[in-house]
Amino acid sequence: MTKIKMSLLLGSLLTATALAGTAPKHDLLLCAAINKNYVIGSKIVTQNGIFQRGSDGSFQHIGLNFPSILNLSADPRDPRVFYLATLNGCVFTKDGGQTWRIGTSWDMTEPKDVCVDPNAPDNIYLALPDGIAVSPDRGATWPRRENGLPNRGKYTQTIEVDRTTAGRVLAGCESGIYLTEDGAQSWHRLLPTKAAVDDIEQSPLDPQLWLTVTQSDGAHLSHDGGRTWQKIPGVPADEALYNVAFDATNPQRWAIASWHYGVLTTEDGGHTWTARNAGLPADGHVFKLGIDPDTGRLYVSVYQNAIHVSDDFGRTWRAAGLEGSSVYNFVFVPKTAK
Amino acid sequence: MKLFPRCIAAFCALAGASVVAQPSFTAPSPQPRIVERADQRQSEYLARINEVLVWRASLAHASRPESLGYAEIAAKLALRQDAARCSQRLVALLREPPNGDMFWMFPMVCISFLGRDQLSAEAQAAIRAAWRSYFPSRGDTENHWAMYYTSLYLMSELYPNEPAGSWYSGKSSAENLAESLDYLVSWMDLTTSIGQGEYNCTQYIGEYTIPMLYLATWAHDPAMRQRGRMMLDWLLAEYSENTLDGLSIGAHARTDDTQVLEKWNGLSSFYSWLLFDNCPPPDGYGGWGVFFAAVATNYDLPEVIYRIGTDRPDAALQRDLKRTRNRWRNSPVRRAPVYKTTYLKHDYAVGSDQGGLNQPSQLHSWDVTWAVPDPRSRHNTMFSLQPYSAVAALQMYYTELPGNLLPAVVRTRPSYDSPDKFLGGSPYEQVFQDLDTVVALYNITPGTRFPHVNGFFSRELVQLTEDPSGWIFAQGGRCYLAYRPLAPFEWIPTTQGDRRLYSPHLQNGTILQAASAAEFSDFGAFQRAIRALPLTMQMEPVPSVALHTLRGTELVCTYGQPPIVNGRVVDYAAWKLFEGPFLNAARDSHRLTITHGHLKRVLDFNTLTVSDSVTP
Repeated sequence: MTKIKMSLLLGSLLTATALAGTAPKHDLLLCAAINKNYVIGSKIVTQNGIFQRGSDGSFQHIGLNFPSILNLSADPRDPRVFYLATLNGCVFTKDGGQTWRIGTSWDMTEPKDVCVDPNAPDNIYLALPDGIAVSPDRGATWPRRENGLPNRGKYTQTIEVDRTTAGRVLAGCESGIYLTEDGAQSWHRLLPTKAAVDDIEQSPLDPQLWLTVTQSDGAHLSHDGGRTWQKIPGVPADEALYNVAFDATNPQRWAIASWHYGVLTTEDGGHTWTARNAGLPADGHVFKLGIDPDTGRLYVSVYQNAIHVSDDFGRTWRAAGLEGSSVYNFVFVPKTAK
Repeated sequence: MKLFPRCIAAFCALAGASVVAQPSFTAPSPQPRIVERADQRQSEYLARINEVLVWRASLAHASRPESLGYAEIAAKLALRQDAARCSQRLVALLREPPNGDMFWMFPMVCISFLGRDQLSAEAQAAIRAAWRSYFPSRGDTENHWAMYYTSLYLMSELYPNEPAGSWYSGKSSAENLAESLDYLVSWMDLTTSIGQGEYNCTQYIGEYTIPMLYLATWAHDPAMRQRGRMMLDWLLAEYSENTLDGLSIGAHARTDDTQVLEKWNGLSSFYSWLLFDNCPPPDGYGGWGVFFAAVATNYDLPEVIYRIGTDRPDAALQRDLKRTRNRWRNSPVRRAPVYKTTYLKHDYAVGSDQGGLNQPSQLHSWDVTWAVPDPRSRHNTMFSLQPYSAVAALQMYYTELPGNLLPAVVRTRPSYDSPDKFLGGSPYEQVFQDLDTVVALYNITPGTRFPHVNGFFSRELVQLTEDPSGWIFAQGGRCYLAYRPLAPFEWIPTTQGDRRLYSPHLQNGTILQAASAAEFSDFGAFQRAIRALPLTMQMEPVPSVALHTLRGTELVCTYGQPPIVNGRVVDYAAWKLFEGPFLNAARDSHRLTITHGHLKRVLDFNTLTVSDSVTP
């Protein structure tokens, strides 16, 4: 999931080198595992977890060395506060990464996504394999908020807060997309699916425009803030689509990552789609992608291979570091103002 | 997903590299016997513990510091040897970032507690510091959590009243303790009400019993000590009724490719050797065995469990209830019930569950195991399965995206996606067992990845006869076997000298009838008796069998319907938590009665009491 977090992040961990003029306005953070073939209990031989893109394009590890950090989200009020979705639960720091706390308890495991409400940042939404939890107090407590979700079919892969409205959240579950407009007090289904919704994203340019990709139902588009959805006919639906990204520099450009199809792109607002895989490792699988909101550069993680980038929206590619990595998430965050 | 088999392999490789003797591993196999005197049982048990510890400690050579690893340190501390050297080595080991997640945590607990009065202050400080700096994975399944939370519980007790900043979790000692207690009690409640999730695992027996032994030994809270002791009894009582001369038999939530054929070759046999002395220990004492042995003097196996493991009547039928691990998706239920049947004879054992996808990848649904004088390198078993492989099934239990899931599973369990595999469950398999008769029906959906049935025929079978009646007759040990494939097949040799019955038909099945050779005048008499059994079968629209078993039961099994036994539909809803001559418990009772002969022990988790009685 490519997320452009409307927040300041990481405080002292991030290099606040904002320069006038052409300087990027966002930092890129990766949630990645480099340890090839790590399984629980095996030896960790490399750095894993969060990586920050440096000014030279290289990636520097920060924070915990943990192979199962899948996503992060930040408190827009305080650049030192951010939350991680990890195999151990939701882990957070309130001091810019000096100390960490596993916020959830034993009864919440393997969250797949975490999202701070930018308009009510005490509230953090957590996507769990068995539902949804919401912390109303910056991670101190994590009550479940599942009223309206089905007893079964609430496996939740992705959760996304509407940046325009506090308490308005879309969740991608096994049985479809669910919406709450009251801070998760109640949910109702907007789009039924046969299998998990893998990603939901809100356009950075048009808050009414949303995209979703799924495991077996293809890609869908909403022009009304997620209330109604239309299937995108040009996107194949036989195999899973892993994530989707908007290009903040061009409203017509979106991209989808798929293990089987590779990189799918559109440059006409979803009317036509083109696979852009020439130049990527021939025997590789595209895992996740992201689009730099400052430059439109397309970032792709090829599973256990490397990050690849394209400055012409997938027509040509070059390797860009983190050899052996799989990136769970590309997260672009506004640079810390100092 | 997890590492355990690899760790075992690594341990065994290390052990194998040594020239130090493992006396019981290389000695002749123990012959079945019952040690009547408690003091003799105890002294022999202590001698076996000592054998493990002495062997493991001897792997550390003074000239090779790297040979003194965590397992050797635990052994030495248990023997109260070389504390200074162990301390120095620990400090050196912990200069490097730890690895292994909960597989690192519980050895650290073992060393920490054994070393409380032996290790140097510097070594103890190094251990304590590692519990602040190292962020281990909690894992994704119950055996992981048993190790993780037991370890966190005990270390939080060992270092009470310490602040959140002194622990990797960011929680104080009190918070860690409370969370660990809550999980452990919750798991015990669940297991003592609707059964164990990872039931009768041939390898993971260590991952449950070691933590429980540690709780029983070191928990400061007497209630948790009692819980640990009672769960250890519970787990080992379950284990004892699922063995034949020390071999783990029947249906398992998880086993591995080696042990599904060579029944002896795994960690479970270490426990049979240590506790029952009725089979040889595996190489390296099963790898993790040392971490049980290091503390095993603090456990006194109840005689009633010892007797179940060693002193059997010639026929015992036990029915148990278990459950699947968590199903996150692709299932209408979070945990599905597993109905186990085990029938034990002196010459053989038959065990099964009801079939289906009861676990993600290493399920073993049913088998016959025959007794052998020495189980080493023996393939003394027979069974069939549908070699199912599907990402959707894996996603039921794992929370991964689909594309990388199958490669990830195959990396650690290469056979998962192999058409010739002998391990794994199938949604297209339905099994029913009545005493020593098994009916396994297969109704395979077209388009399934491997649309066939594999039957395992051991290289050790003798008198194998393909009878014109359609039955295949064979003898394994003192057990006669009649195997009836319900669809045409061909034989395919395996690389280990066995044979695979390969039947590429969607509507399919296996009927298996076992009997003791002693029941018949000769093999021909057994064959005639089987041929004379009334049997009707049809494959369309689904497989269905009506059979009069060798034991006189009228059995009707139709795929998709509950079995009918002597005209009565089997009511799985009435299946108890345990029911049989040895173990009895009602669902949701949290109370297990263990019985053998005049002996009885009741484990009551409602009151945290253990009561023993002897019937006059």
